[in-house]
Amino acid sequence: MEDWFFTEEQRMFRESLREYLQNHITPEKVVEMEEKREIPRSIHDAMADFELFCPLVSEEYGGAGFDLVTAGIVGEELARVDPTGSTCVYYLVPASWSRMIYLYGTEEAKQELLPKMTKGRMFCGIASTEADTGSDLGNMITTIKPIRNGYVVNGAKNYISGIREARNTDGGHVTLARQDLAAGVRGCTLFFLPLNSKGIEISLDREMGREGMSTGGFHIDNVEIPERYLIGEEKRGFYIIHEGYEAARGIIACVCAGAALKALENAVAYMKERKAFGQPLARYQGMQFPLAEHWSRMMMLRDWAYKALRIMDQEKQGKASRMESSQAIAMAKLWGPLWAFDAINFAMQVQGAYGYSLECTEQKALRAIRSFGWAEGTSEVMRLIIAREVLGGTSWKGY
Amino acid sequence: MRIVVCVKQVPDTTDVRVDPEKGTLIREGVPSMINPFDQFALEEGLRVRDRTGGELIVLSMGPPQAKSVIMLSLAIGADRGILLTDRAFAGADTLATAYTLSKAIEKVGDVDLVVCGLQAIDGDTAQVGPGIATRLRMPQVTYAERIEVVDGTLRARRVVEDGNETVEARLPALATMTTPSDFVPTNPPFTRIMKAKGKPYEEWKVADLDADPGRLGLDGSPTWVEKVYPPPKREKGEMLEGAPDEIVGRLVEILKQERVL
Ligand SMILES: Cc1cc2nc3c(=O)[nH]c(=O)nc-3n(C[C@H](O)[C@H](O)[C@H](O)COP(=O)(O)OP(=O)(O)OC[C@H]3O[C@@H](n4cnc5c(N)ncnc54)[C@H](O)[C@@H]3O)c2cc1C
Repeated sequence: MEDWFFTEEQRMFRESLREYLQNHITPEKVVEMEEKREIPRSIHDAMADFELFCPLVSEEYGGAGFDLVTAGIVGEELARVDPTGSTCVYYLVPASWSRMIYLYGTEEAKQELLPKMTKGRMFCGIASTEADTGSDLGNMITTIKPIRNGYVVNGAKNYISGIREARNTDGGHVTLARQDLAAGVRGCTLFFLPLNSKGIEISLDREMGREGMSTGGFHIDNVEIPERYLIGEEKRGFYIIHEGYEAARGIIACVCAGAALKALENAVAYMKERKAFGQPLARYQGMQFPLAEHWSRMMMLRDWAYKALRIMDQEKQGKASRMESSQAIAMAKLWGPLWAFDAINFAMQVQGAYGYSLECTEQKALRAIRSFGWAEGTSEVMRLIIAREVLGGTSWKGY
Repeated sequence: MRIVVCVKQVPDTTDVRVDPEKGTLIREGVPSMINPFDQFALEEGLRVRDRTGGELIVLSMGPPQAKSVIMLSLAIGADRGILLTDRAFAGADTLATAYTLSKAIEKVGDVDLVVCGLQAIDGDTAQVGPGIATRLRMPQVTYAERIEVVDGTLRARRVVEDGNETVEARLPALATMTTPSDFVPTNPPFTRIMKAKGKPYEEWKVADLDADPGRLGLDGSPTWVEKVYPPPKREKGEMLEGAPDEIVGRLVEILKQERVL
């Protein structure tokens, strides 16, 4: 079939990437990653050599100048080789959030930070969630106050990906805090917070999956940051932060498609091989029907995820509105984790008791994908966004 | 130094299917790829170019879609690409192909080194490289797995039945490359794929070559394919499973039954 969506270069890139990742993120490496609970150096280096760190940044600052559709391809392909999803997160969080520095950061900060981030020498995360508030950003306790030549930050962040990764690389997190306390979410400011700053104390959590990545929290006690780390304007953080979330959400949807389709491919291989009551499992319609359903859902989700990312690319060219992007991305991020979870769960079921063994790649993928029901915005928040646009009439109008 | 590397687009399949009625290969729906021997030839050619300086031109003959192997070669590092594409080139056997490619290399002019893959995995003839060398009156080294150019001389390590031999040839010369088992093909990242788009690329038609039309394409191909058929399917072997001792015992029994022992 002639491809109608991807450019010739994107098609070639995917082919090249797939072969490359198969050689560099092998099943043995994935096991090593789970055991050591960190991303092996060799995988990090392979990702750096293939320009997979912060590739949405332009070449001027050391990036690869990807559009978002191309960024989605990387998410999908990483998910195919790494069922733990660790490298997917290691890729998509810095990719989406360094882009915010690239789009809205000061020239000084861009020159200082981006060349390191794009080479994989500095981690860039996102810190918005706190112990007592996540979806409801306006209730956060972390504050930012202007002082001479900069700002002072106080508060705490929790459930933050890439704590150890940022610490080990002198990196940090794109952080949201309240500046105008009376204005709620509309008084928040976005800035870059180096995690090795004086006054930051970190802690690490243990999670149910994504073994190669760390997650944790940090206290922020009178931490001073320079003026140049401001992202966008003061008190305008809430208005721009969604572009970061949405890049991440779109790539996450591609990750879900990659993980689920790969799990279904594994299930198919198993169904053809495994016999019960005298026939291969694949011969039973009771197996075929759910397979057909999960397969079609994931293929549609995959197409929609790329379409949503293309709408975001078009937004940057002035051809789509902010709201069109938000809604399209929310649709992909709503169904991606839910459908992928179901599809992977089916792929486990097919494999009988083996499906529940720690060795089975599908249970790894199941635990990884589950995180995307919350991370970068919950499924409920996605529904809120979609409903808001549908009810508000800014939705798709049939063109 | 001016190096030309010849590459071919081939179907990416180990499971070649044949249309039982027409006796031709089924190509629809089969993805294509660069012939693996040619990718190695390209990467060896690039190694030589990186040492000696100069330019490396990648040359292919094929349908318009074959542009993608040229673009891949440019992304991997070639400097310039030429695709010979014209209905009049179609249906060429190895004789006509070697003739056409040699005419294109003549047109490129001042070529010091031609590098080809040993053979294409779809035809497996290994005739085109030597055919080009003959027509260009160049010395040829076949089955090479390493090439170098030192002081205007090609030095090539050839794979022979019981080891290696190193031979030298005066330039201009042609080498055909066989892929060493440890060869890992380069996968170009995105920026190199995008840069390839900006490199010089040309498509040449019959009129662009100083060639005898009777020696091109189907007209220039005396080879007749009588019949193409897939080899008969072999029965799946019997797999013995279990502990080594047990398996050995069973194996001996079976071999006795079959009167091998
Ligand atoms: C593995 C993992 C990694 C993460 N990494 C990061 C990170 O790097 N940086 C970061 O800032 N955060 C991170 N998060 C946190 C994530 O962004 C939050 O979990 C998410 O925003 C929800 O916040 P919460 O957990 O406080 O839940 P809450 O917002 O308290 O919500 C609790 C539940 O109520 C639902 N809910 C809330 N409001 C409504 C409503 N109005 N209507 C209906 N339902 C509602 C939610 O959907 C959810 O189901 C991560 C989370 C996970 C699981």
